Amino acid sequence: MSAAQPLKNFRILDLSRIWAGPYCTKLLADMGAEVIKMESLRVYDSHRGPITPAPGIAAYPDSDPGEEAWNRNGWFNCLHMSKYGITLELTEEKGRRVFEELVSISDVVVENFRQGSLSRLGYDYETLRQIRPDLIYASMPAFGNSGPWQNYVAYGIGQEQLSGMAHMTGYANDGPMKSGINHGDPITGSHAAGVLLAALRYRRRTGKGMFVDVSQQESAVALIGGEVVAYQISGEEPERMGNHSPWFAPQNAYPCAGEDRWVTIGVTNDTQWRSLAEAIGQPELADDPRFATNQDRLQHRRELDQILGAWAADKDMWDATHQLQEKNVPAGPVLRGPDLLDNPHYTDRGTFNYVDHPRTGPKWYQGFAWRMSKTPGQVHWPSPTLGQHNRQIYRELLGIRDESIDDLESGGVIGTKPTGSRII
Amino acid sequence: MPGLLEGVKVIDFTHYFAGPYCTKLLATLGAEVIKIERPGSGDPIRAIPPFASQRQPGESGAWFLYLNTSKKSVTLDLKTEKGRDLALKLVAEADIVVENFAPGVMGRLGLDYEALSGVNPALVMTSISNYGQTGPYRDWKADEINLYATGGLMNITGEPEEPPLKEGAPLSQLGAGQNAFVATMTALFHAEDTEEGQHIDLAIAEYATNVLENALMQYSYSGVEFTRVGNRGYGRAAWGIYPCQDGFVGIIAGPDQNWPEVSNIMDSEELADPRFASRQGRLLNADEVDALMLPWLLEHDKVDIFKAGQDHGLGFSFVAGMQDILEMEQLVARDYFVELDHPIAGNYRYPGPPISPDSGKFEAWVYRRAPLLAEHNLAVLGDLGYDSQGVEQLFAEGVI
Repeated sequence: MSAAQPLKNFRILDLSRIWAGPYCTKLLADMGAEVIKMESLRVYDSHRGPITPAPGIAAYPDSDPGEEAWNRNGWFNCLHMSKYGITLELTEEKGRRVFEELVSISDVVVENFRQGSLSRLGYDYETLRQIRPDLIYASMPAFGNSGPWQNYVAYGIGQEQLSGMAHMTGYANDGPMKSGINHGDPITGSHAAGVLLAALRYRRRTGKGMFVDVSQQESAVALIGGEVVAYQISGEEPERMGNHSPWFAPQNAYPCAGEDRWVTIGVTNDTQWRSLAEAIGQPELADDPRFATNQDRLQHRRELDQILGAWAADKDMWDATHQLQEKNVPAGPVLRGPDLLDNPHYTDRGTFNYVDHPRTGPKWYQGFAWRMSKTPGQVHWPSPTLGQHNRQIYRELLGIRDESIDDLESGGVIGTKPTGSRII
Repeated sequence: MPGLLEGVKVIDFTHYFAGPYCTKLLATLGAEVIKIERPGSGDPIRAIPPFASQRQPGESGAWFLYLNTSKKSVTLDLKTEKGRDLALKLVAEADIVVENFAPGVMGRLGLDYEALSGVNPALVMTSISNYGQTGPYRDWKADEINLYATGGLMNITGEPEEPPLKEGAPLSQLGAGQNAFVATMTALFHAEDTEEGQHIDLAIAEYATNVLENALMQYSYSGVEFTRVGNRGYGRAAWGIYPCQDGFVGIIAGPDQNWPEVSNIMDSEELADPRFASRQGRLLNADEVDALMLPWLLEHDKVDIFKAGQDHGLGFSFVAGMQDILEMEQLVARDYFVELDHPIAGNYRYPGPPISPDSGKFEAWVYRRAPLLAEHNLAVLGDLGYDSQGVEQLFAEGVI
């Protein structure tokens, strides 16, 4: 560990699964927080995939699940770097005692089970607070910890729909469209990470912990809240308009030479519009009254699309982009996976991390979400295999003797081999 | 106790979406956020419709009102000597600066990290920009669509035979603003521990790459590119958005052990066919499964379908519009909306806290309406020692 780690003094006991919770704790682990990811051997994080998956799934190296598939799944491995991985069964009496010891030395507990799951095991906030009085406990069910829908479940794809995001996404005159990711998840993960830090800072000043109630749905609505206010003002639901902008024109994606290659243009003001006319060799457009102001251009966006579509059609998407950027026109190619890894800008900035995992070999992963001049993030180790750090955490952190750890293992309270899975 | 972040002071040089969402989170959590705006026109997002008041659109745009709750507005012409000096005086007293100008702009104004840390070594300065403060695309111009494209999200959104699609809301910018909030809080801990400030460089395009989920990973793992799959989940069937009687619903046909419930809900023995029992089986027979579900879906309303799924343990959802959201029984029951009255815009219900910390003793979040342009000039400059005459003088000189 070279550089100082701003969050090194915080220990987070992380019971969360899939993406929203793990994205929250990944942001914190990247900045030095000690994150202990706890899984059950019976219901491990479903991002590890099934115990014996069908062959051919591309999330495994060379699409081969291989031995111990649960340790080779990229969905899991891209989210848990620098976290400790332990297993523990909370349904076993011995497991409960260990858990309570873990809680007593943790600053934060994070979970995104279905609402009430942990309470049914006897661990609600009030109980955990007896063990650790200044604990910060973040509970992240889909719809929060109160209200008529509190027992309902939802995934990132559902949150896009229940927040209004999907409603306003889609091709013109067509139905709503999901994003290519489960966008509700990282939105909640990031909100939660920031608020947990605010709660930790508050605790530092006052000595008080707190219960942090996370409704993933409320988090997603909050992000696009301007549209909720806009609707009350205008009385109109947001329109699905493909790649057009409700506010500026011309904006769209235009097909270029090659298969499924596109350049995007995103003009936002008159100066950029005049530069665009010049950049595409049609300076007379700048004086065309149909396109004089942003309002005019919004009205005549179809004509603009025809002109720009015709211009882009035979061009390489990179040439088109450079030609426009040279004149300061907002433009960019639609990048695919290989383009991202081969991109000079991202390479120059070290955007992606190349991490060697013992069960998959070295692979590329998403990098740090930001750069810090004094305390840059670090990948300390790859995502843990199931139960990888059991011995280390239980022995070194809790001081449990080796024989007792052996007991826990032979009793099935901890381990490294799953006994069941529940995959969504 | 007024807000979790009471006592934190932020000088806010942001505009449009990304920066203002970051400082909205800080302000609404109780930090004092002083938003520096251009004299006359202010944050250009003030020009984005719809406007509640046609006579004063600059004070009543929906997105401006939403993104600037709980902030103070001070106008400063940063290109003037006096304007810059005032900015430096404000920064000297602050914990945090957030800005989202194009890289180089703060430097040309004499307000880059070097200058600011000169007057305040413990300062956290958060810079949000399209492509970051370094690298060959540093000076590229971009709007949401371009960032969605170059960040890799656009290629995997939309129908396979249709153009790549952006999302309707400016999620790259807003998401980058969220992450900037986390980054800022992280650096604040370091600054308070060590009295060492630092500069954060957050690129919106990199935000997009950071939430790519598995598109990047999968290509690196197996050489298989993620593709656009429309409304079906990637590698899944009976998983996505479907039409129903009064709109659209989200059908989630998993986990496998819950799938038999779908045939109960939709009253279709054919859906219980063992060929559809596994995720792989449904994928191989995706069109057939869809055809069996559709007639039932088209005869039922979205909220009823949603609840029918949920009551059987399935994570169904529905596509909510803005009216649906305002009326949603869960949000109403949880008192989610915050009503704010604005002297020009009027009274609206604003989405409330994205996360609800509850200490039982205080309001973690503090909601105040967005400021009028220059509303806090007198108060803030007063704190710097200007009396009303001095403030008038600055106004006459065009500094504020």
